[in-house]
Amino acid sequence: MTHETSQPPASDPTAVRLSARQWLCTLGLSLGFAWLLPVAWTGFESFKPVPHYRVPYELSNDYWLYERWLGQLPPDAIPVVGDSVVWGEYTAHDGTLSRFLGDATGTPFANAGINGLYPLALWGLIEHHGGVLHNRRVLLHCNLLWMSDPEVDMQLDKEQTLNHPGLIPQFMPTISCYRADIDLRLGRALERRLEPFSWVRHLQQAYFGQESLPEWTLADNGNHPPSYPNTYRLLPGVEGVNLSTEAVSPDRGLASERHEPWLANQSGKVNMEWVTLESSRQWRAFCRLAKRLKGRGNELLVVVGPLNEHMMNDSTREKHRSFRSTAVVWLEGEEIRFVVPELLPSEEFADASHPLTEGYERLAKRLAKESVFRAWLGQ
Amino acid sequence: MLFHTWTFFIFFIVTIAGFWALRPTRFWLHWILLASAVFYGWWHPYYLLLVFYSTALDYYIVAWMERSPHLAKPGWRFAASVALLIGAIAVGLTAPAGWGGLAAAIGFFAAVLAAGHWRRSRRDWLVVSIINNLSVLVFFKYAGFAIENLNILLARLGAGQLPSAESLMPPGWEYVLPVGISFYTFQSMSYTIDFYRGIISRERSFVRFAAFVTFFPQLVAGPIERAKNLLPQFSKIPRVKLVDITDGASLFLVGLFKKLALANYLGLYVDRIYGDVGLQGGVALALATFAFGWQIYFDFSGYTDMARGVARCMGFRLMLNFRNPYLAVSLADFWSRWHISLSTWFRDYVYIPLGGNRVDGLNLQRNLLITFVISGLWHGAAWTFLIWGALHGLGLIANRRLEQAAWWRDRFPSLAKRLVVFVFVCLAWVFFRAESLSQATAILQRIFVTGWADPQMPLLLLLLVVSVWVYQFVYESALRSWLEKPSVKVVLALAMILWMLLFAPGGTEPFIYFQF
Repeated sequence: MTHETSQPPASDPTAVRLSARQWLCTLGLSLGFAWLLPVAWTGFESFKPVPHYRVPYELSNDYWLYERWLGQLPPDAIPVVGDSVVWGEYTAHDGTLSRFLGDATGTPFANAGINGLYPLALWGLIEHHGGVLHNRRVLLHCNLLWMSDPEVDMQLDKEQTLNHPGLIPQFMPTISCYRADIDLRLGRALERRLEPFSWVRHLQQAYFGQESLPEWTLADNGNHPPSYPNTYRLLPGVEGVNLSTEAVSPDRGLASERHEPWLANQSGKVNMEWVTLESSRQWRAFCRLAKRLKGRGNELLVVVGPLNEHMMNDSTREKHRSFRSTAVVWLEGEEIRFVVPELLPSEEFADASHPLTEGYERLAKRLAKESVFRAWLGQ
Repeated sequence: MLFHTWTFFIFFIVTIAGFWALRPTRFWLHWILLASAVFYGWWHPYYLLLVFYSTALDYYIVAWMERSPHLAKPGWRFAASVALLIGAIAVGLTAPAGWGGLAAAIGFFAAVLAAGHWRRSRRDWLVVSIINNLSVLVFFKYAGFAIENLNILLARLGAGQLPSAESLMPPGWEYVLPVGISFYTFQSMSYTIDFYRGIISRERSFVRFAAFVTFFPQLVAGPIERAKNLLPQFSKIPRVKLVDITDGASLFLVGLFKKLALANYLGLYVDRIYGDVGLQGGVALALATFAFGWQIYFDFSGYTDMARGVARCMGFRLMLNFRNPYLAVSLADFWSRWHISLSTWFRDYVYIPLGGNRVDGLNLQRNLLITFVISGLWHGAAWTFLIWGALHGLGLIANRRLEQAAWWRDRFPSLAKRLVVFVFVCLAWVFFRAESLSQATAILQRIFVTGWADPQMPLLLLLLVVSVWVYQFVYESALRSWLEKPSVKVVLALAMILWMLLFAPGGTEPFIYFQF
């Protein structure tokens, strides 16, 4: 079909054909850049956490920042590790357990909680991004609500949309409600093992609206008809998420409408199925996590609960206590120090597991009085 | 399995390790065949049945062809063969509900083979091969389109409706277009035709022939290899030198960059603009049209680069498929640079048999038009593809006329010629990309009649594309030696790697040409 042509090059239409030496040079430089850029970035990017800091909600998936935050903790600060109960779902950053523990004991505690973490993901977070915690004193919160139902315990086959899918085991053990193709699983497994990938995720989370740079340049403003604020920009400005503190949120804090006691008209009515300790996927993950922390030389203290028993019906309460007792037996068997705090007053719970600000304060004071806790603190 | 996925990365490591381990033995070819089966079956194991059928059929047909005389015996056997075919289909269609289509197909193929055996001539075997290959292709690719249009016609005539293509599938079998069917069917057919023409000799090893048809780097989107090029490479243990690995890796890197950094990015913009044509102004649609031109180039040539790179790492050389097509100075030049393996296929097996350049005037124009219309239809079963092909055919005819005029040939600047070709090719892509004929015409209409509105094309995207275009210009200029300096090459490779690491959009967008 061809008749007349310009004078084409005889070889391939690209000059990027590297010799072995050039490949070595390119790969060496690539690896160097990939590993040095995150390190250099820490010098370039300002990160000065405010007092009672916690990782901002918008950056809940920014595990690189989480690791940086842990790495920056003062030597005497004790990280409190856990899910949104530790993080403070309904409270401001200065109304969380870690803040009140500091007040009650005079020892600095740091909020190392992340919103939306369940034990399986918490294990992944500490396994892959919590290495800097080794040989420290660590307070680990155990939220038994994750075992209160086969669905939240991830035992069902039905596909679930999971928070923090990148932190859970991707291949073994298999989790039937987690559906992702092999590529996604491999990508996630690599991202949490290789720092350059988690650093790139950090850039996306913090500066590019949780998207890649190309997607960010095409992002719309959500209006109809949409407009595209980043079209003519090559790099983001200063409006990225503030890493060092969190913006005042209408969803959290004493002034928030959400910061209200749970609806007491359901008192004693809520039924939870509970799974057995032996079958619980989340409990197994928690055990693995506790052992891992111990194995890293951490002086570990586990705080079990408290859950909002006020909302449970009799049967559920019975099952909860039975489950908790068995869990405690395991902790004793593993020689892990633990505290099972007394139930908080009903009006200090926001829901089934999250205390309100006053609840955290009371919980901290009670913990500070516990002999096990004081012994663990060395007081 | 897509080249730009972690799955492929692992697959390739295993494949290459096995290949190296088995190279000293006679099983390295079996290993390639097995790897190709895994690669292709990854999409859907049932696809393997079709590719195996196509492969086995052409292998045996050429074996039978070798034992047959060139010419058929004339007479009543031809009519009887046709009757046998029709009878077989009719009997097949009487099979129980749901199985009629399969039974008719089996009857048809059996009858075709029986007719071939009965008549026993090389030419008839060639016809049998072509009928078989095209039947499979037509059923899976064109049956839906043909039936839909026939039903429109029948409805206008007040006649009954034909059953849908889906209803001809056995119960529980999905009617889907097998990935890459157009590519491997053409590759397999070229073997039969080349043998018939005496260009190649018969391949005696089934494993070698099957490895040729199914060779995983090029199985699903080409290049459409010729037996003359690839089969001899499978006849001896490949010698893999260090330069094969470094060149292969270089090709793969460039292909990966084209796909991940450029094609996928352009695709995001094109999808946004073409996704709501009624909202867009003419400039946005024009830019999206140009962007699609680049997207499809980066997507397809990126795939080819990766395919060639993977093959090269194993010591095999696949043919060149793209040579900076948007630097073409004429449409003929464009087709010597774009999807070269397909354009030369059509040249050798359609255009030249029709008479090619050996005829003059209207006949030559007819040959060009027929070839390009078929080429358009090869890309997809829709009127838009047919029009796209026809536009290129007509464009080529017009271009030939222009080349006869001295003012165009000698005085029109080559840069301007390049722009004219680029604009024409991009406007033709509108039909290629549009979801329907009405959308294509709406896009073209709006490009020319709507007023100015900010196209909101990302500056970064524009810079990237312009950089690549400038790179291509420089590469084909006297400054090429500068691009070939080791330091420049290393910087370019490093930039590509870092760009992909830092900025490539996530996800695993499939390649555009997989749909063909």
